[in-house]
Amino acid sequence: MTAAILAPDVGPVQRESLLGRTNPLVKLGIAVVWLIGLGLTTDVRPPLILTLVALIGGLQLGGLSMGALARRIAPLWLAVAGIALANLLFSVHNPDPLATELVRIGPLRITQEALDAAAGLGARVLSIISVGAVFALTTDATYLIDSLVQLARVSPRFAYGTLAAYQAVPRLAEDLGTLRSARRLRGLREWHPRIIVGLLVRAIRHADQLAVAMDARGFGTGRRSTYRPVSWKPLDGAVALAALAILVAALAIAR
Amino acid sequence: MAGLLPSEFPGAWQGSLRVDGRELAVAEAPPLPATMEIGAGIVQQDPASQLVMERVGDDVAFGLENLAWPLAEMRRRVPEALAAVGLAGFEARRSTRLSGGEQQRVAIAGVLAPAPGLLVLDEPTANLDPDGAAVVARILATLREQRAATIVLVEHRASLAWPLADLVLAFDAEGRPIDVGPPSDVLARSGRALEKAGVWLPGTGEPSPNRSPAPRVSEAVPERSFRPLDRWFRQPERGSLPILEVDDVRFAFDGGEPVLRDIELTVGAGERVALVGANGSGKTTLLRLALGLLRPLTGDIRLGGRSSWRLPPHQLSRLAGYVVQDPELGFLADSVREEVELGLAAEQVGYAHELCERLALPLESFGDRSPYQLSGGEQRRLSLVTGLARRPLLLALDEPTYGQDRHGHEALVAALDELVGQGSALLAATHDDRFVRDATDRRVELAGGWIVADEPVGTAPDDGARAGAPVPRRQAATARARSRP
Repeated sequence: MTAAILAPDVGPVQRESLLGRTNPLVKLGIAVVWLIGLGLTTDVRPPLILTLVALIGGLQLGGLSMGALARRIAPLWLAVAGIALANLLFSVHNPDPLATELVRIGPLRITQEALDAAAGLGARVLSIISVGAVFALTTDATYLIDSLVQLARVSPRFAYGTLAAYQAVPRLAEDLGTLRSARRLRGLREWHPRIIVGLLVRAIRHADQLAVAMDARGFGTGRRSTYRPVSWKPLDGAVALAALAILVAALAIAR
Repeated sequence: MAGLLPSEFPGAWQGSLRVDGRELAVAEAPPLPATMEIGAGIVQQDPASQLVMERVGDDVAFGLENLAWPLAEMRRRVPEALAAVGLAGFEARRSTRLSGGEQQRVAIAGVLAPAPGLLVLDEPTANLDPDGAAVVARILATLREQRAATIVLVEHRASLAWPLADLVLAFDAEGRPIDVGPPSDVLARSGRALEKAGVWLPGTGEPSPNRSPAPRVSEAVPERSFRPLDRWFRQPERGSLPILEVDDVRFAFDGGEPVLRDIELTVGAGERVALVGANGSGKTTLLRLALGLLRPLTGDIRLGGRSSWRLPPHQLSRLAGYVVQDPELGFLADSVREEVELGLAAEQVGYAHELCERLALPLESFGDRSPYQLSGGEQRRLSLVTGLARRPLLLALDEPTYGQDRHGHEALVAALDELVGQGSALLAATHDDRFVRDATDRRVELAGGWIVADEPVGTAPDDGARAGAPVPRRQAATARARSRP
């Protein structure tokens, strides 16, 4: 379960979808530009529009199913609701006598200004989470790393090392389960800070073996060739332009 | 030899090591680039930790990329290398989803792809089930016939390595060479010395193909250190007291395909049961269910008369001892002494120390060392001590003999026999035919989540049982019919 969230499984349907074929760097760029764009306004509508666009795009162009998307995003949405609620209740605007009062329940006073701020913040976090989830669920990790190395000139040693480590995540989750059951069978409580030491030893050992395996196959010794050449495609440009247009339209509505 | 020492591991060098005429043992200069030019490849014990890329084809290509092969050449070579290990068409599969045997074959394909002059394999079959190991052995035999590369195989199960070897170099436990030469010469000259050093020799303890397996006790005579007749006197009546009762159990992870289906199994006091079956057949899952670490979807599992998953830890630890497959995952303390005594009652400590002594882990020399710094075999024996120290009713062992030499094997079998003689039951998941013959009386075979055979050890020769798949399948069918009224 933990592994499923940390290392989502991007299947062939998502990989072959329009968003899946779009270069991951383009998608990453869109996410960053959208984020900066949202910084230009405090209006609630633009982030909600971008959230909607991201989700519909993921379903229609990313090959995602409603169920899979909902399962991944639902816990995060709960977190967003919590953040918005906390900001609504404990806002600095509430005790301000000049602010417009909306509701008063006993000592609790909620003002229009607090509601606006909480809604704006909630909508923004919501859009970041939704865009991030659609990116993660439609992006093949190998494609992302290949693009980083070949197009963005990221060091292969760093990039492929990260990719290999990423694959050890499910295994580490399994290790944690075994460590807990070992404690149980020795008559001890399953959870104890000591378990972290065991997990750390395992993580270091995995990393060590992996590094040896990579070095033994000549990694980082010199010039590399590439088995999966990556280049910019017309599709990448089209997706980037469309995303930019959507951002401009969303911001225009706010004015 | 693969050029990883000394650059990867600190240590002291003496003498010289030349591969293809090039000096490798230069402590100052990292020799890696040189080795790669010569083309030396290494395959290690643990298949999963050698796979770098997400998909099989990419992983095989990884070594080629590092040697800057042109794209067209790689596209030709990757399918070739996969075909050579019997995995044609696996390019787009995810390496983490493969079985251990398949992963090890991918690792071999990745090392073979650049056509290395030297291929080093470090116990490549240690983690594999017998079928997976046989496939790897066949691949090595084919490579040997092609004479394309020098193969160095590090192995302490000589039955696999012996028929493949042109030259044998044997070491003792301290790393001193015992003998070197053609296999038959070494066996004739130094057989006794090898045996003394705890090396598994080919042929020992394996029933010859045409001899019907002898009754267990007499078969064990030359191998075992204790008197064979002891067993008959020590053993309480079999099955007199059911320790573990598995009643029509079905299990699946997170709504997936069932891992175990309609499992019926009763293990009584004094019984010694081997759970066998391919990687992924559900052996470990059944062990974990028996120990109450998982809860069955349907059916019930009773350990000492109570549903196992409802047992609180302090009762569970008295009823069952668990020796996990990977000993490091069972370690909870900073020193061996602490590890051994953790959670033990005062009266159990004495027996725990005695076990340490018998399994060659005397606390005087090992007590203050960290469990993580022991060798693989020592770690496994330590996990056996911690699993057996409470004299639990059910001894649940997952691959207990992996990585053990003959001395370790014998000490383990003797300790288990003693506990079973006192009324415990043994349930061991294992790939090790030798352990099944020496330490168990009953063989339960799992395939695809069904129990496909449940028979006394020694009635059918091992190969026969595997070849005779139709019979077990019928048994499974009847078991299924019974469970659905």
